[in-house]
Amino acid sequence: MSGHGAHVENGIWMRAVMMGGIILTIGVLLFATLGVAMADGKHDTWADLEDDYHHEETVLAAQDNISTSEAEELEHLHHEVEQAHLSYLSYRVSGITILLMSIAYASFIGFGGFLNASKSNGDDDHGDDHGDGYGDDHHGSASPIIFAFGILLFLAGFPDFAIACKAMLNASVTADLGMLSLSLVGLLTIAIAVSNWWFEDLPFNGEGEQIATSYPFEGEHIRKAGLWVFIMSEIMVFATFFSSYLRMRTEWCTDWAIRDGVEACKDVPEGTVVTASDLLRYDFATLLPGAINTFALIISSYTIVLALKTARNKDWKAPTGLMGKFMPTRKAAIRNYLIATLMLGSLFIVLKLVEWSHLVAEGFDIGTVQGSIFYIATGAHGLHVFVGLLVMLYLVFKADTVGFDEDNAQGIEYFGLYWHFVDLAWVVIFPAFYLY
Amino acid sequence: MGEHIEFMGKDIYFWNFLVLMFFTLFEVGAVFYDTVPGTEIEITKMTVWIILIVVGIVKGFGIAAFFMHLKDDPRIYTRTALFPVLFVILMLWGIGLSNPAGVTELPSWCTPNWDYAETR
Repeated sequence: MSGHGAHVENGIWMRAVMMGGIILTIGVLLFATLGVAMADGKHDTWADLEDDYHHEETVLAAQDNISTSEAEELEHLHHEVEQAHLSYLSYRVSGITILLMSIAYASFIGFGGFLNASKSNGDDDHGDDHGDGYGDDHHGSASPIIFAFGILLFLAGFPDFAIACKAMLNASVTADLGMLSLSLVGLLTIAIAVSNWWFEDLPFNGEGEQIATSYPFEGEHIRKAGLWVFIMSEIMVFATFFSSYLRMRTEWCTDWAIRDGVEACKDVPEGTVVTASDLLRYDFATLLPGAINTFALIISSYTIVLALKTARNKDWKAPTGLMGKFMPTRKAAIRNYLIATLMLGSLFIVLKLVEWSHLVAEGFDIGTVQGSIFYIATGAHGLHVFVGLLVMLYLVFKADTVGFDEDNAQGIEYFGLYWHFVDLAWVVIFPAFYLY
Repeated sequence: MGEHIEFMGKDIYFWNFLVLMFFTLFEVGAVFYDTVPGTEIEITKMTVWIILIVVGIVKGFGIAAFFMHLKDDPRIYTRTALFPVLFVILMLWGIGLSNPAGVTELPSWCTPNWDYAETR
């Protein structure tokens, strides 16, 4: 789609740079609070408890006889040490995740805004009229193909990129920075394509939406049809994860299967096969992050529906009371619903990584078959959430500048379809990997 | 669109949202408790299976039909969404359920050459 409609001053793009700065500031402050100050406090508690435990262990090891109560006390202390460690991890990982996400958000929206602010205004007449009566409204955009090419370059260089990143994280190994080059060129191409996409979309006010002219989508918006075909392919991606998990799961003698008297597992001792759900579902504290994430995604699906509903409602009236303060105008209401969606999605990522850190601390890592399918499936879903959040940043920016109304609300609708699909995928992943 | 259908002064999105929240709470509760709260009735593995599948179908329908507007949109979108379901069923049936020993007993032409992989 070639964006034509509302006139957009280039200076507006500098607000995207400012938005990136605000996001980065919030991220750094939250990291300093959660990931440094509070995490350090938790670390001290953990270290103290560990010292107590080792001291107690040494004292008991020197005794000839250990009473039952002493053994129980040592066990209790060990449990407290583990809990303190997990508590420390919760703060540390959430702080680091928020910092990394805010850096990604800020660089994504800031870089795109900066590139577009330095461009000549594409809304002006650039002599592209073909004399066919349509001006250039019927042009397709080159951005998707540039974007796809950027992804091709990034993935082609990804193995070297991953090795170089790993080497940089491990100070004892010298990184070959040349190994980063192909993927970095890919990332730069992606950034240019995305910023160009925004440049074309920001002035879009509903005029020139391309309509399919042939069967089976005749009369429908091409972008919407394209998005549904994309969702169709995404269903296949998640189906492969789910079917491979189901295939393996039916063969595993989990504790649950053993306790339920499954014939094939009668000679297998408990604890032979440990799944993520074995570690998560029996305790309220361990199940909580996954459960909160489920609710967060459902609420975020609702908030984006409310953003779309508000954008389409010409007769929208500001609510009374507290909600009226948050949503004094239709434009503010749409923007705030989108910000709420963004925050709920970000909460999902933070809790997901906190939960992963707990599982890894308990020995459930990617080295086992159970760990591999769990981290790949939930990681692929998390990646979809994160990509959705990057797109949502632009929607928040557009809602705050040009604004959405009944004519150009398609942007929210089409993104909403993707976001609901991500929610739908979680509806399958959560019971399969966390509850079963 | 769903905002035009109202029940007790609230649109269909709101009620769909409440149904999704309730069923999520229900499925988490079903797994978390060993017995039905306040009774001695045991919640077996099969019961949990049935609850998770039924709740998953209800939630999936709620999201697709109302939040994704498939109920009001032209049928072609529903057909597009359902098209891969054929392959999903084939995968679940063919790989997931019917062949528990699939990895070790699949014919050689569709398994990796492990000997080669080890000696490479």
